[in-house]
Amino acid sequence: MILAAAMNPDALGGAPEAMVRLRRGDPDALGSIISQYQHRLYRYLLRLTKNPATADDLFQQTWVRVMEKIGRFDAARNFESWLFSIARNLAMDHFRAHPIEPLDAREPAIKTSSAGDALDQLLDFERSAMLAECMSSLPAIHREVITLRFEEGMKLEEIADVAGVPLSTVKSRLHRALEGLRTSMEERVAGRRI
Amino acid sequence: MSEHESVRGLLALAAAGVLDPDEQVRVDRHVRDCEECRRKVETWQAYARELHHLPQPQAPARLMERTRDRVLQERGGITEHRWEDLILAALALFAWTVTLSGWLVLRIFTGGALLIMGTNFLRLATWSLVSTGLMWISAAAAALVLGRKRRQWRRI
Repeated sequence: MILAAAMNPDALGGAPEAMVRLRRGDPDALGSIISQYQHRLYRYLLRLTKNPATADDLFQQTWVRVMEKIGRFDAARNFESWLFSIARNLAMDHFRAHPIEPLDAREPAIKTSSAGDALDQLLDFERSAMLAECMSSLPAIHREVITLRFEEGMKLEEIADVAGVPLSTVKSRLHRALEGLRTSMEERVAGRRI
Repeated sequence: MSEHESVRGLLALAAAGVLDPDEQVRVDRHVRDCEECRRKVETWQAYARELHHLPQPQAPARLMERTRDRVLQERGGITEHRWEDLILAALALFAWTVTLSGWLVLRIFTGGALLIMGTNFLRLATWSLVSTGLMWISAAAAALVLGRKRRQWRRI
């Protein structure tokens, strides 16, 4: 399969030079591309799995899979979305094999709250750390959409491409994720006040 | 559903910057006149700002090198398997060639009959059966020897 990747280097068309070299089987190109995406991809996997060792292993598996599939990569497709979708599929396989927290777990219903603006009340607290904690308490499917939108700056279309779901699903998922985050923040603030 | 309720459901997505232009116009128009929604959208914007500045975990040191090594190792494994497949195919072809040519040569020298215990071994079906049996026995023996060697190498 790796050799298949080297068979048709021209199919990548306008893709970056490193990608074309990667397709020819150049190990230096592999290093260059991994270096370019390493922190973002690792962060994404860490947010999904919440486990550094698992994220580390899935990161490596992702690049092995990239090398296996690069021969079939459609140059018209965004490489970044393709890369993240490979990582996501591997994460799903992992969740299936270790069903502690499946990625596509049932989304909890949105709780509406009449509490005031929680963020205003949080000025004295370590907001970022608390937000990160709240985020890690969300279902994986919600952590994913938040991290792709806010940390990776992906557009809805790109997120839909990564997650393999329609645009409308991404939109409603993002809405639910943000509502869940806000609820979690408000509960924490209320907890601290008590 | 009133416009107020309808727009309220869009505020979080407005702060996330993912609304369609039409939806964004609706939200902008509504929050100009609605104090409650304006405050809510400000809250959501504060969340969005915070989410953009979450603590950013970095990939561990040497992860890149370890990944590169693993990829190259897997690539080496695949190449090795390809070679093994090619060698196996070549050996199978060789074995059948030897079998067929041996059968032809023996037929020429013996006049077409090689009787052992009343069975003519130069009948094509018998010759094929015996040859195949011998090949399977040889292959099984080779697999046993190679497997034992591989286990020894792994222990080393």
